Amino acid sequence: MYSLALKSLLRTGGTASSIVAIALLVAILSSAQSITNHINFQTEMLEKLVYAGGPYLILSGNSTSITDSRVDAGLASKLSGLSCVRWAVPQRVIEAELETSAGSRTINIRCLDDVRGFLERMGSYINGTTPESWVEADVGEVLARAYNVNRGDELELGVGGKHVKLKIVGVFRSQTNSDAELLASMEIAYMLTGENGTVSLVEIVLQQGVDSREALSQIAQLLPENVRLVQTQQLKEFTQQMNMQTLAFLNVWSFVVYAVVAAASYIISTRLLTESSYEFSMLRALGAEKRLTLTLVLAYTLTVSLIGSVLGVALGTAGSQTASTMLRWFLPSVDLAPFIELWQAFQTITLTVASSILGCTYPALRFTHARCVEQPL
Amino acid sequence: MRLTGFRYLRRQRVAALVVITAFPSMLFSMTAFSLLGFYRGFSAYLGEGEDIMVIYDRNSRTPYTGLVPVYLADRIRAVSGVLASSAEAIAPCTLKGESVFLRGIVPEDFSKLNKLTMMEGEMIRLEDLNFMVVGRNVAERLGLNLNDKVLVSSVLTGRYLDLQVKGVFVSHSPIDDEIVAPIYVGQWLRGADYAHATIIRVKIDAKTVSRSDVLRVVEEEASGQPPPGREEEEPTEEPIIPRIVIRFRAEDIGVEEAASFMRSYMDRYGVTRESLMTLSLAVFFFSSVSIALGYKVIIAQHRGEVDVLRCLGASKRFMKVDLLAKLLPWSILASFTGTAMALATLTVIQSCGYLRVLSHTVPVQPDLLAIALNLGFIILLSALTILKSELR
Repeated sequence: MYSLALKSLLRTGGTASSIVAIALLVAILSSAQSITNHINFQTEMLEKLVYAGGPYLILSGNSTSITDSRVDAGLASKLSGLSCVRWAVPQRVIEAELETSAGSRTINIRCLDDVRGFLERMGSYINGTTPESWVEADVGEVLARAYNVNRGDELELGVGGKHVKLKIVGVFRSQTNSDAELLASMEIAYMLTGENGTVSLVEIVLQQGVDSREALSQIAQLLPENVRLVQTQQLKEFTQQMNMQTLAFLNVWSFVVYAVVAAASYIISTRLLTESSYEFSMLRALGAEKRLTLTLVLAYTLTVSLIGSVLGVALGTAGSQTASTMLRWFLPSVDLAPFIELWQAFQTITLTVASSILGCTYPALRFTHARCVEQPL
Repeated sequence: MRLTGFRYLRRQRVAALVVITAFPSMLFSMTAFSLLGFYRGFSAYLGEGEDIMVIYDRNSRTPYTGLVPVYLADRIRAVSGVLASSAEAIAPCTLKGESVFLRGIVPEDFSKLNKLTMMEGEMIRLEDLNFMVVGRNVAERLGLNLNDKVLVSSVLTGRYLDLQVKGVFVSHSPIDDEIVAPIYVGQWLRGADYAHATIIRVKIDAKTVSRSDVLRVVEEEASGQPPPGREEEEPTEEPIIPRIVIRFRAEDIGVEEAASFMRSYMDRYGVTRESLMTLSLAVFFFSSVSIALGYKVIIAQHRGEVDVLRCLGASKRFMKVDLLAKLLPWSILASFTGTAMALATLTVIQSCGYLRVLSHTVPVQPDLLAIALNLGFIILLSALTILKSELR
């Protein structure tokens, strides 16, 4: 009796329009999803066009900036021994007070074991020479221009009551943030801070062509627990966040579409109960339990929403692809290729069916509890 | 026969109809307001008004990735009627693991184009080597406070640096979602040399200077063939930035009104105000079947009452007009309720940070055309459904 009753309900005139109503709503969702997929895919493709071989930094675990960080200076020599590491450069960055004619200014001093090598790696131009001893330093072009520092000048620098005098032997341009710094030997760091054996960071550059995941795993094995490895050029993370921003909105928007699906399902089940009240009364008269009515309404909604959602996913995806092709005829620069993943289609169908069930429950329950003479809702 | 005072439609059923009509209306309004908000926000990204021009790289596929000679800013500034000329280097970065755009500027020039109100701290100066000011939205999103020092890492190059927060500003513009630092910081993180910036924004006195005058200066500079790499020794107000005159081709550089420059990027991908409105309307039409079903159901639910009135002498047409008169105010209410629900939802999700595109908050603003279309189509749909319905 159950299957017969369901068949007769599905053959009512309103079923086709109910399926279309659900299908059109799902089509909105799947077309939006397929276009978003294309945009995200394009973003990921763009990401591959940029060479992401930026250095990795070893910083102390609790630091938010380089100047606050302290790591063991010995780490650099351990890491240099790895075949996957092209170079590992320990650096100490100190904030120091520079006495100028205009007053005291805070500047950064980057202390290095090999200033010349550091400048060469950055492809810098230098007017002068690199420091030969700890009393000499090179100044970046931007810092030199900002505080009127010239080659041959002697600068007095202070950190917490300790002072040193450094002679500027070269002005360099590296097109990096070092142009706003003073480059000096590592001894200066020990003189100004009194700290020995620690640096602010170790900058690591991997050998070209090595598997970065494997290389990072090797590096991580040598690191103590209180340090962290930071990737500098986080292109993948950046593009992922850009995509996530779109998806976050799409998810909230989808919630409203599912609310409309639930509302549509409410209408569909109400219509079914109104237009098929005679059939339901007949079933009751023939001895059907109240539960059967509820089951029939739920089964009807489930069938309609399932067919509607499958149709909707197909319609939305095919529709957006057709629209993209037509758009390309008028705007050749627009190269849209919308697509939908299988799991997304499955997710959409599942959520649509769930929303529909939710939407039809109230009218079905009301009808089940109503007496034969009453009209629900 | 007069039925004005005869309330034969059940309140609960009408309430259900209002809810059912309000949801598609909400969906349409939400789609239209967010898409048009994005369009409006993106168009206004570099400034609004005919007096703001942008000098840009014609070969760039996005507004963030072009490169133009910085020295053009000085040349254009010297033209009579040009009120401000601001070279800006925009760099996508990560900060505390979050994506953010950093804009390198010359503060003195930038302030003539954008008024930044400092909520905390103070504005940066060009010689503030390791400082930045952050927009209110960025400060809230990343939990940045005055004097915080953070590691900023470039996305396009392997460069990184510490920057200290010198101030938090509000501008009620897309810049509230950005970090602002001296121009050379932007150039480092963008991977550009000191001769290039992403764009140059120019503010003109529209009565005395036009776009073609600015374009002429650019063309003259391009044809002047200055020696490549020559550094200007002329005294400048900001000696921090090396002034480098470079050779460029006039056809590579464009001059456009700021808003139309941004719109031209969207036009390339078929994104126009009209196409977005059409897309929103498509959403409405796709969901309108539910509204039509709703009206059909309410008529079916009241078939008994309608049949009785028909037996008492009411014509079909009379009944349909009466149904329409009784349901139309509710349709209008449903349309406005949907619009209000959409605005409230968008405002909530915007404040939660879910309404962002390219790390910039999408402004939510009701669009009068969208509201009118929503109302008009709901009235039309309800009228058509009721008048076309089958009465016994």
